[in-house]
Amino acid sequence: MMSVPNMMSNPLSDYQAPNQVSFSPYEFNGGTILAVAGEDYALIATDTRLSQGFSIHSRDSPKTYPLSNGSVLGCCGFHGDVLTLTKVLGARLQIFEKEHNKPMPTPSVAAMLSTILYYRRFFPYYTHNIVAGLDEEGKGCVYSFDPVGSYEREVFRAKGSASAMLQPLLDNQIGGKNQQSYKVVPIPLKKCVSMVKDVFTSAAERDIYTGDNILISIITKDGVKSEQFPLRRD
Amino acid sequence: MFLTRSEYDRGVNTFSPEGRLFQVEYAIEAIKLGSTAIGIQTSEGVVLAVEKRVTSPLIEAASIEKIMEVDKHIACAMSGLIADSKTLIDRARVEAQNHWFTYNEKMNIESVTQAVSNLALQFGDDDRDPGAMSRPFGVALLFAGVDEKGPRLFHMDPSGTFIQYDGKAIGSGSEGAQQALQEVYHKSMTLKEACRSALTILKQVMEEKLNSTNVEMCTVTPGSLFRMFTKDELENIIKDL
Repeated sequence: MMSVPNMMSNPLSDYQAPNQVSFSPYEFNGGTILAVAGEDYALIATDTRLSQGFSIHSRDSPKTYPLSNGSVLGCCGFHGDVLTLTKVLGARLQIFEKEHNKPMPTPSVAAMLSTILYYRRFFPYYTHNIVAGLDEEGKGCVYSFDPVGSYEREVFRAKGSASAMLQPLLDNQIGGKNQQSYKVVPIPLKKCVSMVKDVFTSAAERDIYTGDNILISIITKDGVKSEQFPLRRD
Repeated sequence: MFLTRSEYDRGVNTFSPEGRLFQVEYAIEAIKLGSTAIGIQTSEGVVLAVEKRVTSPLIEAASIEKIMEVDKHIACAMSGLIADSKTLIDRARVEAQNHWFTYNEKMNIESVTQAVSNLALQFGDDDRDPGAMSRPFGVALLFAGVDEKGPRLFHMDPSGTFIQYDGKAIGSGSEGAQQALQEVYHKSMTLKEACRSALTILKQVMEEKLNSTNVEMCTVTPGSLFRMFTKDELENIIKDL
């Protein structure tokens, strides 16, 4: 006699496994940024490599973005989000300048960026950010952010793919950490530039997402000056 | 087809053939019925002084509020339909706090005035915007404050027009008061002088006798920001006017 399937009682197992759909809206495109606040300058450096996995998309894609108020934004992580975030920021700065008849002060850019990031708290921009510029007293200032808007004013900060390699070096060389009887003094620009070149060269040796070139932007009261320096290209 | 003035003063957004918006003009007229308010800007700070019409001895004078704090660094004096000012002041306060929230800095006086004037123009007798007013606001405002440009005084009327002044009077006594202001004002005026002048002028233009209960005065200075004068402080100035 043929068995008749019982249509009324489906096995429970049919319902137990949830239907999983994959959704991966983010990508990681590498890149490292680093900023230092000096007495009367701020320096922000970036490598120029844009990659995805083992392939390099571009050897000339710096992750620093000059803003219309004279400060510079370092922004790396997912390049799609970087493009949108920098566009949003550019528009917000223009609107502010027209509305309030003045360029937005760097500390205000930092505060605004924090709110922009936090408004995406549950679908964040996958970006690591640093804002470098001069404060209202003309002193160098660096603000670093996590992807959801927590921010802090600091003297130096590395973000992005090789940040874990750069930050301890800066802690030691600028912050005087783990050195006995080291007096922490503001770092002179020349020393800062050569140190930045050194630490990036070291990072490029180990990190495949950092390389090709570094672009160093120096912000003073006279404006932004940039210089390039070659890194490993492999 | 000729339409008289009375046919063009109905719709709030209909221009007359001569290019006038009668309802806005009438709203400006409404200010001239209000109590007098005076603002003087000096290099040390700004002072606002207003008359309070205590029309009955049973009125609790302290409950008439014609100077309000917008933010710690901005004050606002008003004349005209005071009830209308609540909406405008609310907007000013929200804008000032929003600015602080987003940019972590104090909002400029001009920007606050601009934000409020945007609201002042959002009237219309259609129902397209449920939040908007059906008529122009019937108040004039004096915004006084200190920002990075120093002490600032702005006047805004129901048409949304706003202008910066060294000294400005609004309300029923404004004509005489403005004249007096022009005579007494000079660039090197101290804040103390300005406070005295403001009360002197109020005394001249008020119908009732000026005393510490029927005036309100405040200063906004870089040091102590918004500060309201107490009854005692007012009496001290008034006694030797």
